[in-house]
Amino acid sequence: MTALLVWLRRLRVMTVKELLQFSRDGALILFMVYAFTFDIYLAGSGVHFELKSAATVIHDSDRSSASRELIDQFRPPSFRIEGTIERGAEGTRLLDEGKAMVVLDIPPRFQESLLSGAPTDLQIRVDASNSVLGLFAANFCSRIAESFGFQAGLKRLGVAPDRVKYLPRVRNAYRVWFNPNQNDTWFMSIAELLNIITLFAILLPACAMVREKERGTVEQLLVTPLTSFQIMFPKVLAMAAVILAGTTMSLFGVLRYCFHVPFRGSILLFYAVTLLYVFTTAGLGLVISTLARNLGQAGMMAIITYGPMIFLSGAWSPPEAMPRFIRTMMLLSPLHYYIDASYGVLLKGAGINLLWRSILGMGALGGTLFTLGVWRMRRQFE
Amino acid sequence: MVAEGLGPQPAVRLRAFTKNYGRLRAVCGVDLDVDREEIFGLIGPDGAGKSSLMKAVAGVMSFEGGSLEVFGTRIDSEKSAESVKERLGFMPQGLGQNLYPDLSVDENIDFFSRSRLVPAKEAAERKKGLLEMTRLTPFRARPMKNLSGGMKQKLGLVCTLIHEPGLVILDEPTTGLDPVSRRDFWTTLSVLLREKKITALVSTAYMDEASRFHRLSLFYGGRAVAQGSPDEIMAAVPGALVVCKTERQSETLAGLKKSFSDVQVRGSWLRVFVKGADEQEAVGRVGQVVGEGVAELRSAPAELEDIFIALLREKGLVVESSRGVSDMTDSAMPARIEEEGRGGADIEARNLVRDFGGFRAVDGVSFRVERGEIFGLLGANGAGKSTAIKMLVGLLPPTAGTGYVAGRSMLQAPRAIRERIGYMSQVFSLYTDLTVVENIRLYAGIYGLDRGRSRQRTDWILEMTELAGHEDQRTESLPMGVRQRLALGCALVHGPRILFLDEPTSGVDPIGRRRFWDILFRLSRNELVTILITTHYMGEAEHCDHLALMHGGKIVADASPGEMKRRLANETGGLLEVKTDRAAEAMEALREAGFQGVSIHGRQIHLLAPDREAAEHRIRKVLAEKNIALIAVSQQPVTMEDVFVHHVMAMEANGGKSR
Repeated sequence: MTALLVWLRRLRVMTVKELLQFSRDGALILFMVYAFTFDIYLAGSGVHFELKSAATVIHDSDRSSASRELIDQFRPPSFRIEGTIERGAEGTRLLDEGKAMVVLDIPPRFQESLLSGAPTDLQIRVDASNSVLGLFAANFCSRIAESFGFQAGLKRLGVAPDRVKYLPRVRNAYRVWFNPNQNDTWFMSIAELLNIITLFAILLPACAMVREKERGTVEQLLVTPLTSFQIMFPKVLAMAAVILAGTTMSLFGVLRYCFHVPFRGSILLFYAVTLLYVFTTAGLGLVISTLARNLGQAGMMAIITYGPMIFLSGAWSPPEAMPRFIRTMMLLSPLHYYIDASYGVLLKGAGINLLWRSILGMGALGGTLFTLGVWRMRRQFE
Repeated sequence: MVAEGLGPQPAVRLRAFTKNYGRLRAVCGVDLDVDREEIFGLIGPDGAGKSSLMKAVAGVMSFEGGSLEVFGTRIDSEKSAESVKERLGFMPQGLGQNLYPDLSVDENIDFFSRSRLVPAKEAAERKKGLLEMTRLTPFRARPMKNLSGGMKQKLGLVCTLIHEPGLVILDEPTTGLDPVSRRDFWTTLSVLLREKKITALVSTAYMDEASRFHRLSLFYGGRAVAQGSPDEIMAAVPGALVVCKTERQSETLAGLKKSFSDVQVRGSWLRVFVKGADEQEAVGRVGQVVGEGVAELRSAPAELEDIFIALLREKGLVVESSRGVSDMTDSAMPARIEEEGRGGADIEARNLVRDFGGFRAVDGVSFRVERGEIFGLLGANGAGKSTAIKMLVGLLPPTAGTGYVAGRSMLQAPRAIRERIGYMSQVFSLYTDLTVVENIRLYAGIYGLDRGRSRQRTDWILEMTELAGHEDQRTESLPMGVRQRLALGCALVHGPRILFLDEPTSGVDPIGRRRFWDILFRLSRNELVTILITTHYMGEAEHCDHLALMHGGKIVADASPGEMKRRLANETGGLLEVKTDRAAEAMEALREAGFQGVSIHGRQIHLLAPDREAAEHRIRKVLAEKNIALIAVSQQPVTMEDVFVHHVMAMEANGGKSR
């Protein structure tokens, strides 16, 4: 009984100590408030994955009514006609200089071929250095060309526009679920919140630990009866409390108040999942802290691990699109589970019955990392 | 290089010199003259303003008030500072701080001579000469990082002297060096400076190095408290030192403290500085207070530290502690002493060995510390003291050997040991962003004290550290000496019976150090706390009941300080001080004549000789041959430094040299 009391007392004083130290670090608090509010607001309102006013240049070698009809399809808001050029090489130059995003080349005798029924080509060059936007533009262009060709074909067959409906066609009607307006703001702000949580969950415990190493206070702790666990766990506990406070600020101050994100599932479940995720990721931070000798090194290592964690999380591209071995490696990124779980709770209203796999994965990963950190704790000094 | 007949101006002249860092006054209103070709010393604790002053003289830092002249040139702008820079050499604080660790000895020197635009031919000649004199020639190809501390400092000196400056400024060149290297450094410096007619401004934190200077200035809190030759400063406060030995040390100490302001415990001795009295009168007055039952009572030569503290008192720079040390006792302690009994060894090291890669930091160290004893591990930086302590407290596993703390094996029961000891590490190990009371409560909680006990211990620590009223102050704003007391308090929060202190007083001013030792003394005598302490201050070693001297990872001697000195005196005879008109040459001559332990102290030579009369006769003869006038020969007490140097030399002569 008394042993348990002493154990709890130790845990308490160490956690209180971490919170006190955090509260005295004005610069860090400022950075956290910024990251959990303004940064997420920026991500939600500023970044849009939509094709808007793509600079388009036309190289029309036909100058016919058909070519003009086609050009007319490239209209705002997706496209913005920047002008016409006389030679194809000029298009290449504009693409190189980044002055044009799309170059449309219409070959000579375009109309003639259409009318005579001979196949004709159309060249569309797209700057895909921003791959997402490039892909959008290419898709859009090919849709335009397709429907233009379809219409031209109908005309050639002599089908009157009002009789089109009698043609056999597969109708493509889709419903968007979970985010019916396909609102990027929701997706982006949640994604940024998860990124920020990840960043702080790695950095805060790692830095708290490394700072003790740098100042030599850890030596004093190591000669007290504290176990490695008692030295490390309070840091995670304190930092988890700090991160949950930041998350609350973000959830209600930004996501709900500014962006009206619907919280479809149980917010409590989201907090529980976040807490588990913070523990898992903090374990990684603690492993880093046992390898780093100073704050600079800890920061570098955090950045090095932060990158792959995000790539392997499925935040930027769906897991199904990745090569097989990378998909296997994704099982090692705690963020992968967390993204599943948090989109599930926040947007889909999923309950624990759907998320148990993610929760289990996170728990297993976190337990392993934390054990590794505790195991390294004393050994790193020997 | 020094132009003769350039005029009578001193090498450096400071008037009302003031340097501020923001609102902090580092140096305020110092007047100082450094004459040509003298070694001028600045002595004072960390933060006294020595470095600031030296950096300003070296032209690498601006200052706020007063005037500064270097070789007659007034330094008031960056341009004027540049104009004298080629006549200056500056060696910053820290071992090898101005050197490049990955470059060899040769490459370091070449870099300095090239950057100072010394013509190649001259540079080669000077390099050869300097390397010879510093005995670094065999190590020319060795990277600087692989040199010992002493060699690094000598190389730093060579690099500083390669452009033959008229004035060298050396900031704490000997801090952290072992006594042998320190002696060697001073000797080399004295000879070089004399030969090249160079002036030197040198700082040190060691009071016992005062005798190395021609003239010196005592620094405290940004002020020069006293200035003059060592003799002049010793005479600045008239008075006499009385030492006594008694059975009832604690009671006698309390009694003496009521009547005298300057009472100190040093091992088994009590030292009283009686101001304004001559020797006889002082002995009489102290005798009256201590009364009967005194084993020994006599006068002794005062040390610079006694004078320093008396001077600070005179100027009102010491805040007197409001209460005597011995009236603070923790009620729980005596009860526990009853329970656990007295006697027996509390700490024991058996053949401890620790390797770091291919380097053996601790090499077969064994010692025993009895209950209630203050045991000192004395040695230079890198001698293996901290490593030995870290193994005993369980921070480092030993490569071989074992140890027992509080009757438990350090290999089998490290956690049980950790619950029973207090430990204070080399660096300040409290949280600077927490307040005094938050730090104490943290450690109280860590050791599992309940609320009532925690409150009781907090009060006790605040009282002991004299920090009552500063509970809510952040520890970063506390002065060095107070911080160390607080760290000691936190190490004592759970009332451990064994204390490990790793260089707790390094960088603390003499008054802070005395207070710290007062507390240790009381813990040891009243509460039977066993204390293992490491230090590189030779003077502090005398506070210990028992001493082990460490050098190169080995223990070279193990006895009480008094015993060590007595043995040295018996083995080699007493210490003779020779006063001549040309000290550097006299030293060479006496060394050649085969005298032992010859070293230079400012204008005096120290040497060890068994028979004073015969030795004096021989000294006269040797010096007369060289046409050096002998002013006086006198007997001096052997110091801890002499003991240390003697043991190390003996060990190295026996081929026990480890690096």
